[in-house]
Amino acid sequence: MLTEAPDTWTLQEAAHLLNRAGFGGNPREVKEFHGRGRKKAVEWLLAMEAPLDEISVPGWAVDEKAVLAQARERFAGMREGMRGLSAEEQEKKRRELNQERQREQRQQSVDLQEWWFRRMVVTKAPLREKMTLFWHDHFPSSVQKVRVAYLLYKQNALYREHAVGNFKELTRAVAVDPAMMLYLDTQTSKKGKPNENFSRELMELFTLGEGNYTEEDVKEAARAFTGYIVNRGTGQVTHQRLQWDGGEKTVLGKSGKFDGNGVIDVLFGQKACAEYLPKKLWEFFAYEGPSTELVEGLGQSFRDGAFEVKPLLREIFLSKEFYSNSALRTQIKGPVQFLVGMLRQLELAGLPKVYTVSICQQLGQVLFLPPNVAGWDWGRAWINTNALLTRYNVAGFVTKGTDAEAIASAGGGGGGGGEQMMDRVRGMMRSVGRNWAGPDYDKLVPRELRGDSGELVKLLSFRLFQTQLEEKQRKTFEQYADAKRGLVFTNTEVAELTHLMMSTPHYQLT
Amino acid sequence: MSDYLKTRREFVKTSVWGASAAWTVPMFLDRTFAEIDQKTRDLAVQADSGKDREILVVLQLAGGNDGLNTVVPYGDDAYHKARPGLGKEKTELIALNDHLGLNKSLGYLGELYGEGDLAVVQGVGYPNPNRSHFVATSVWETADPSAKSNTGWLGRYFDSECPGADPTVGISLKKTQPEAFGAEKNPGICLNTPELYRWMHAGGDDAMAEEMFASLNQPGEEASGSSIEEVGKAGGKVGEDSLAFLERVALDAQVSSKRILEVAAKYQSKVRYAGTPIARSMNLVSRMIAGGLSTRVYYVSHGGFDTHQGQEGRHDNLLGQMDEALKAFFTDLKQQGNYDRVTVLTFSEFGRRVAQNASAGTDHGKGSCLFVAGGGVKGGLYGEHPSLADLDQGDLKHTVDFRSVYATVLEKWLKGNSQVAVKGKYEVMGFMG
Repeated sequence: MLTEAPDTWTLQEAAHLLNRAGFGGNPREVKEFHGRGRKKAVEWLLAMEAPLDEISVPGWAVDEKAVLAQARERFAGMREGMRGLSAEEQEKKRRELNQERQREQRQQSVDLQEWWFRRMVVTKAPLREKMTLFWHDHFPSSVQKVRVAYLLYKQNALYREHAVGNFKELTRAVAVDPAMMLYLDTQTSKKGKPNENFSRELMELFTLGEGNYTEEDVKEAARAFTGYIVNRGTGQVTHQRLQWDGGEKTVLGKSGKFDGNGVIDVLFGQKACAEYLPKKLWEFFAYEGPSTELVEGLGQSFRDGAFEVKPLLREIFLSKEFYSNSALRTQIKGPVQFLVGMLRQLELAGLPKVYTVSICQQLGQVLFLPPNVAGWDWGRAWINTNALLTRYNVAGFVTKGTDAEAIASAGGGGGGGGEQMMDRVRGMMRSVGRNWAGPDYDKLVPRELRGDSGELVKLLSFRLFQTQLEEKQRKTFEQYADAKRGLVFTNTEVAELTHLMMSTPHYQLT
Repeated sequence: MSDYLKTRREFVKTSVWGASAAWTVPMFLDRTFAEIDQKTRDLAVQADSGKDREILVVLQLAGGNDGLNTVVPYGDDAYHKARPGLGKEKTELIALNDHLGLNKSLGYLGELYGEGDLAVVQGVGYPNPNRSHFVATSVWETADPSAKSNTGWLGRYFDSECPGADPTVGISLKKTQPEAFGAEKNPGICLNTPELYRWMHAGGDDAMAEEMFASLNQPGEEASGSSIEEVGKAGGKVGEDSLAFLERVALDAQVSSKRILEVAAKYQSKVRYAGTPIARSMNLVSRMIAGGLSTRVYYVSHGGFDTHQGQEGRHDNLLGQMDEALKAFFTDLKQQGNYDRVTVLTFSEFGRRVAQNASAGTDHGKGSCLFVAGGGVKGGLYGEHPSLADLDQGDLKHTVDFRSVYATVLEKWLKGNSQVAVKGKYEVMGFMG
């Protein structure tokens, strides 16, 4: 067990936990959270009291039966519509219907991305959403390959349900999750011609890590995952014995006539498996490159606890090391953390719908669209010259510290579709920028508190950084406030000051 | 003197010589440069601008391109046996000789081949190849088969062969910094939309806001001046804290922003590019070249090659998108008069298994082919096509070490020493000039 930290804690430590285990909060929320004391705050996070359906899902995903009925209807309608047509006309009809389906799927993907993003902004169970994001990165699937938004919605629900549950159970569920099966080709893996994709990533990325298995293990395990079939229309998964390779396999020195779960049992018997996930969780929540002793300690706890995630997180969040200088304000915010955190700090409930996806795309993290099966690269990989300037400009939009219309329209597009499409998107974005109301500065920074630049900067600093600023920064911000000060300090000036404070390397850290 | 140089000189004056011990060298400033006597520093600053020199465009085919269906050994029975569904017949190809043919989607590259401006290098790989996307990509980008290097082959080239160059020496159009750019001093920059490559603030021409922004976005005196001996994979230094890293990137962004904006405003292409992401990237590269940036290396990426399943139409389509983008790009360069200054080099982390799988796709393999194209290229076939009869666990054995390809491009095209960049001495091949 890691050494525990005392129950009394500082405001900065409380803010740190709320930022890492969730997406931060506004000053009132941080103070409330601090007031619980460290232990009770951790228990509150782990309890995740808000119901699973705390916000309503996109209309098309509400009713599973309706979704499936619609798919069947469309299929029947397609056959109906084909009757009596020439081969050429049929082909044309098929293309049209296909395009319509693609359009619908694109729209549903956008709905889904926007829905989860908004959920992170407003959730009352922040750890659940943070862990769902962790699992989405750990067991990723991309809508680009899966192509059925509904299946990704179901996968997302699976991760949320198992947010702090049992790692082994979740791994078993993921192996037969329809979206994952389509993403990593288990779908088409048959006896005699196994597809190695899932088997390889299961070992390399999901449970053991590189170097803890051989090529032979990958090939043998792939045979075990044959014969699982998912029905794209209904999302039903069945195991077809005839297409399953029921022969003897040898994986990591163990032999047997394994099926998928059999292989997972073998993997979870490995020492590497007990340490792989705890290390990743530590790096996700605390800092990169923990010591071997720390990882071994967590691994021991994890194995003793039969791969239950909740006690492991409790140990991490209560440990002294989690609040050490190696952890405090050393993490580079990922794009989603950056945006969701910013909205929570500024007490905004969301962004204009089309802009959400556009910004996430520009910053390099679109939900349900991880770049590949390893998920996103975290830490420094988020930052380069372009990404940093984009963050500054996004902050300009959100705060209204600059011309939101110009920023929104210049950054639009990104997908395919040619010049005409680009022009349409630009036009749409321009109006998004024009209509963006921005934060309610009268509420955030009451006018009576704007009189003194020192006080004003202090107020905003707590909201944005929750820590003491360096001397040089504090002075620069105060100078700026002084110089901007006319007869009154209007909302425009507050917005500009907020924007400047966010346009800094410091603001990229949490 | 350009604004960029002015900015840099001011920075040098105020921060390097002005500040006391704990300074952090921005990525693009050579350490030795900082030690130069103050009197001679103008000479050092105004080094060769590199504006009219040779340019390399590295084009990544991400996901593992199926080399066997790109450059097809249609004359080999073993090929057709291994690929009963996916194999391509001669009629579906652009024949290069009576044994090999280009995928039909590569019509423009076929023309280039005819004109002697396309080199096809066959059987490229390295010993004990890795089948993981991530490790294999790392190997190619760092030119280190053990995948342990913290710097990339291009980053090392920037550091050792382009001393004193500004951060635009390398421009990546990828969303993330490629590992190939990892450097101790100058890891280049990332660029997406030139119009947005600046800090947009409300003040209009508010000089004060600009000034404060500038001061907040450079290494502070109190920044932890950690050791600058090692570099992390994404261009940061090992042991350097996150803040120092962010501050250095911020400074690079700041000093390159003005140049990029100027250049982007200068040139609009008359050639029509397709709406695909790869075409858009190539269009942006052409604008930067036309605008006269001194960039030596551009890096673009074209993804989706991980064709485990239903490969046929998808793979052809991806190759077609690349071909279409290259056609527009080279046509554009010809109109600009820059055709002879630019070479495109493709690479992919691995080829694919010789035999197709049950999903009408192909799994991760080993050695593969790559293309080198442009006015400076001596076209033709290079390297030996690996045997389909003598396989290594179902995979092609490589015949050319990828570091030989890099060494050739570095020595013969970029006219630099290759040994630091590729970590050793590798045979120079005949496909350049």
